[in-house]
Amino acid sequence: MQTNFLPHLLADPDVALAEKILRKCVHCGFCTATCPTFLELGDERDSPRGRIYLIKEMLETGRPADAETVTHLDRCLTCLACMTTCPSGVDYMHLVDHARAHVAKTYERPLADRLFRRMLRLVIPNPSIFRLALIGANLARPFARWLPAKFAGLFALAPKRLPPPSWVDAAQTIPAKGARRRRVALLSGCAQTALDTAINEATVRLLTRLGVEVVVAEGMGCCGALEHHMGETDAAHARAAKNIRAWTREIDGGGLDAIVVNTSGCGTTVKDYGHMFRNDARLAEDAARVSGLARDVSELLADLDLAAALVARPRLRVAYHSACSMQHGQKITTLPMELLAKAGFEVVPIPESHVCCGSAGTYNILQPDLATRLRDRKVANIATVAPDVIAAGNVGCMVQIGTGTPTPIVHTVELLDWATGGPIPDGLEALTASENASA
Amino acid sequence: MSLTMPAPEPEILAARDDLIARLREIVKPANVVHLDRELAPWECDALTMYRQKPLVVVLPETVAEVAAVMRLAAELNVKVVPRGAGTSLSGGSLPLADGILLAMGKFNRILEVDFENRVARVQPGVTNLAITNAVAHRGFYYAPDPSSQIACSIGGNVAENAGGVHCLKYGLTTNNVLGVEMVLIGGEVVRLGGKHLDSEGYDLIGLVTGSEGLLGVITEVTVRILQKPETARGVLLGFDDVKAGADCVAAIIAAGIIPGGMEMMDKAAIAAAEAFRPCGYPSDAEGLVIVELDGTAAEVDHLVGEVAKIAEANGATSVRVSTSEAERLGFWFGRKNAFPAVGAIGPDYLCMDGTIPRGRLADVLTRMDELAAKHGLRVANVFHAGDGNLHPLILYDAAIPGDTEKAEAFGADILRLCVEVGGVLTGEHGVGVEKRDLMGEMFDEVDLGQQERVKCAFDANGRLNPGKVFPTLHRCAEMGFMHVRSGDLPFPEIPRF
Amino acid sequence: MADHLAPRDEADLVEIVRDARAKRTRLAVEGRGTRAALGRPIETEATLSLAGLTGVTLYEPAELVMTALPGTPLSEIRARLAENGQELAFDPIEHAALFGHEPGSTTIAAAFAINASGPRRPKIGAARDHLLGFRAVNGLGESFKSGGRVMKNVTGFDLSKLVCGSFGTLAVLSEVTFKVMPRAATTETLAVLGLPDDDAGRLMREASGLPQEVDAAAHLPASVAGPFAGTSTTLIRLDGPPVSVASREADLVARWRDRGEIEILGEDASRRLWDDLREARPIVAAEGPIWRLSLAPSDGPRVVAAIRAADLPLEAWVYDWAGGLVWLAFAGRAGPLAARLRAIVAEAGGHATLIRADEDERRAEAPFHPQPAPLAALAARVARAFDPDGILSPGRMTAIPTKEA
Repeated sequence: MQTNFLPHLLADPDVALAEKILRKCVHCGFCTATCPTFLELGDERDSPRGRIYLIKEMLETGRPADAETVTHLDRCLTCLACMTTCPSGVDYMHLVDHARAHVAKTYERPLADRLFRRMLRLVIPNPSIFRLALIGANLARPFARWLPAKFAGLFALAPKRLPPPSWVDAAQTIPAKGARRRRVALLSGCAQTALDTAINEATVRLLTRLGVEVVVAEGMGCCGALEHHMGETDAAHARAAKNIRAWTREIDGGGLDAIVVNTSGCGTTVKDYGHMFRNDARLAEDAARVSGLARDVSELLADLDLAAALVARPRLRVAYHSACSMQHGQKITTLPMELLAKAGFEVVPIPESHVCCGSAGTYNILQPDLATRLRDRKVANIATVAPDVIAAGNVGCMVQIGTGTPTPIVHTVELLDWATGGPIPDGLEALTASENASA
Repeated sequence: MSLTMPAPEPEILAARDDLIARLREIVKPANVVHLDRELAPWECDALTMYRQKPLVVVLPETVAEVAAVMRLAAELNVKVVPRGAGTSLSGGSLPLADGILLAMGKFNRILEVDFENRVARVQPGVTNLAITNAVAHRGFYYAPDPSSQIACSIGGNVAENAGGVHCLKYGLTTNNVLGVEMVLIGGEVVRLGGKHLDSEGYDLIGLVTGSEGLLGVITEVTVRILQKPETARGVLLGFDDVKAGADCVAAIIAAGIIPGGMEMMDKAAIAAAEAFRPCGYPSDAEGLVIVELDGTAAEVDHLVGEVAKIAEANGATSVRVSTSEAERLGFWFGRKNAFPAVGAIGPDYLCMDGTIPRGRLADVLTRMDELAAKHGLRVANVFHAGDGNLHPLILYDAAIPGDTEKAEAFGADILRLCVEVGGVLTGEHGVGVEKRDLMGEMFDEVDLGQQERVKCAFDANGRLNPGKVFPTLHRCAEMGFMHVRSGDLPFPEIPRF
Repeated sequence: MADHLAPRDEADLVEIVRDARAKRTRLAVEGRGTRAALGRPIETEATLSLAGLTGVTLYEPAELVMTALPGTPLSEIRARLAENGQELAFDPIEHAALFGHEPGSTTIAAAFAINASGPRRPKIGAARDHLLGFRAVNGLGESFKSGGRVMKNVTGFDLSKLVCGSFGTLAVLSEVTFKVMPRAATTETLAVLGLPDDDAGRLMREASGLPQEVDAAAHLPASVAGPFAGTSTTLIRLDGPPVSVASREADLVARWRDRGEIEILGEDASRRLWDDLREARPIVAAEGPIWRLSLAPSDGPRVVAAIRAADLPLEAWVYDWAGGLVWLAFAGRAGPLAARLRAIVAEAGGHATLIRADEDERRAEAPFHPQPAPLAALAARVARAFDPDGILSPGRMTAIPTKEA
């Protein structure tokens, strides 16, 4: 489309990039069809095409963001379904990143909103604080109705039973079982280490069983995605820089075959470090190297000999939920399903699998109404295929979907770990007992 | 932009605040969009060449709200432009500076699927593909499939009489719609047809289909759904000369074969589609023909053989027959995404939509190349070869001063060429604003006058989507519509606006 | 006696209409006058016959298109098409059996003006779906055109749809351009014997939704005349290349083997049978009024059951279009039953047309299903957009409530 940027604005390379992205959009509207918020709201402003126009209007003059534009940008899940649909190759992800940074710089949110967001930024990326907050949320749950409405989403998501911290998330090197085939670093994640420690434990068990040495690098922490999506570029970059340095030490030290991420939301961001630091003279090269090594755990598993490690397990019917960051962000679509099928499960696709479940990082906390609508839509779609268990590759989706369905939901690696001799994932015991009884 | 739209009425612009306040009493206040910075997303549809921010956008949620908005518009004499998914390629929903833009996006529910009678009753904002998705589990589908089917709405499909790649065998929208509920300009709600064939009295469904939002606001549609053919197979034919491809198409039809779809792409379009996502098109071919044959397995096998024979006799350089459903869909993938894929190399494109008698295909393509040279622009061609519907995509760069005008002039020349060889200005995209000023190439004053009087029968004050379709606006009285003789109005008992 | 006006060309036609308008002469527009008894009877000062405007002016088999002058008889059109293995796929009813004229004698313009169709209507469409473009003279005496000669065209309003089924009340067709299709190499018919109406309805609806692509589905109750008199017969038509017909037939026989005895009708018997069905021949022998109902297919048997339960003097009935079209023959006069019949049909959401009845009855009972007021008003405004003075077959479709001129 035609753009009319004030010439001096284009001197900023970030603005110049945004302009280049905007020029690619031909306004065909295909993206509206797969945008979860447009499907729910039917309002052009809540579609990718509408947001692109709102962003264009704002950036062309460099004017400060306004409340309305912010509202519609905030409603964007950043699920990137639009990018999968777009036949013109519009890089919506980097456009909306830039727009959010512009919002963060030029728009003052109402005080309560500001404090709430600051609280999220303080709490979630810091596992120890997050754990305390979740305990606090459980204690405060009886009083939830007296707290501001903003907290509703938070309470809904706080698990009733919280696992203790796991040994697996401490900095260490965990040797491979048997001959070492690979050496990889694992991103432990932030919220994940507080919400569901079983995922990293299963990942480490599975990988070491398959001959992979796993490094939990000293100094590694939150990937920065949370602040990145809030437009807090500096804070996000600071976190990313820490990880880049931690992993670079390992690359230059013991060497790394891959940096494994088992939360696809984080994976999308780590794979984007190269882009984030492209204009940073000191870190550009290391960031690109890190991004180049980043793999979703399923990508690594595809290269390993899973079949040799399989043990007999009941053939459960697994509905695979593809996280948006997995299918749209990282373009990993069928691989996890293939792995599950290879491991002996009956894998069924979920209708409307391209539509977000509403989790989307902190979206279900910041936009609880829309998130709940999308969760219910997802849960209804899952119900049509009547699975025994739901598998996903992103802890956020697991928590989100888990609040809406009695069907157990586990991480793909938990099922693969079980299928190769690991313990049965939480929540499946009853299921397999009856399976065995009927078998 | 050389397009002239009806001049905004100062008294309407002046009364904008009052209008907004009244609209906020009808629909949820959040569904009235009026701040200047929020109107940009609606300033055009998929024809980006012409842009105009609307006076105000209203997003109704119920038929009663639509009727109330229409009554208010009538009372205040404000123009109304209906909009579906905003995927029109002819500017059918280009807003007016002094008009309400009635955006029907919230009408997105499927109301009923009646498999027994093979119909689906849906709200107008439901997308074309969503209908198929809703009935696919029982092996049914909705036949018309415009390239934008993922996003275009059924209301817009009816308004534009949308086509697609399967028209030759399965018809356009008009052949697949059984019922329509619509709100007239004065707010009356009328239901036309239903689940039965043959509508009562005049075929107003047929008239409304393709009327480009000039006659009423569609609030519900009943469409036929069809059982998916048992088998469909694609045949991908490469030719080293476009004429050979065109001749092959004619020979297939002459042999009595009506393929489910038959599409052609030229070298530029093949390259663009392959660049978007490789789909195995022969990269060295000058022309590509995709033939889809559907029916029972025995019939399809038979026809695939016949088509391959005809293709070889007509000099096909490559013949590939799909052996799986994935491969067949792969054949279509590039074609379905051809428009925006061309956009990626454009950077801008203008998509034309003339139809010509099939036999003139080769001749028209040759002359189109001459026109491209004359205007100094590139053109990529995709077309529904089975029915002669051409989609030349004129590539230009809106950032280069003068390029837009060149593209417009080139497009106009292409359409004149279509009419000259016995074809028409638009096969499926509609006239909108894009081809409005070329209507005179095809119709004379009397032809247009007759159509305008039909418009007057629905909208005597010309308030519904004015500035579209007709190159000049006549007042209905001027058209002799309110025909008065000896002081008596004929049919005095018939209510008038 | 009314004047009989027969133009020799379009210019002539324009003159006649202009003259009529100037003199406020009403014209009864007809093709060859075979179906004056269809619709409301009208009184006019003159009859405008298109019988003199005949001939095929363009026929390009490879483009599937033909253009003809309005008075061209269907026999001539069919013969020309047959030379190239093509046909009028919408298979227009000629009302030959109903009104007692020679098949083939009706005109191409009339086929469009009454939006004629045949048993394949659900699959292949009616006249409206095949008219690509036309020339006509409106009530102002202006000659105008609409549409074109190509398959896909959305340039301007689709007036072709409006003139189809307008019974000459909007404009006088002076040239029609229409889509023609290859004639199927073979046609055969499965006859499933012995099904009661309800089961037959279910079978027909099931058939219409199968991938075996059934081309038509009809049901003859045991009571109707013809080759199957005495046995109720459900007819399923299959058209196509022999290899296709054979495979579909085998599939369907296997599917329905347990439903009843199945007979297969070969090519000739099939064609005769469907021609007869198109013309409603199985019920024309009845003396009383004949009605035609258009319904959702599942409502066909239900409405017939309701009519029978209401104790109306129903003599015979036939289902076509998988139950979506029902022909009814009654004993007695149309008047006493019209309101009750229409109430039953309206409840189901369809419409009822009185096709054959005495002139006075057709004058008294609106032959076409009455429309809700806003729709009737809209239709009247549309008519005025073509014929502001109401000189073209006024009152053919609905009674004109104006004062006489």
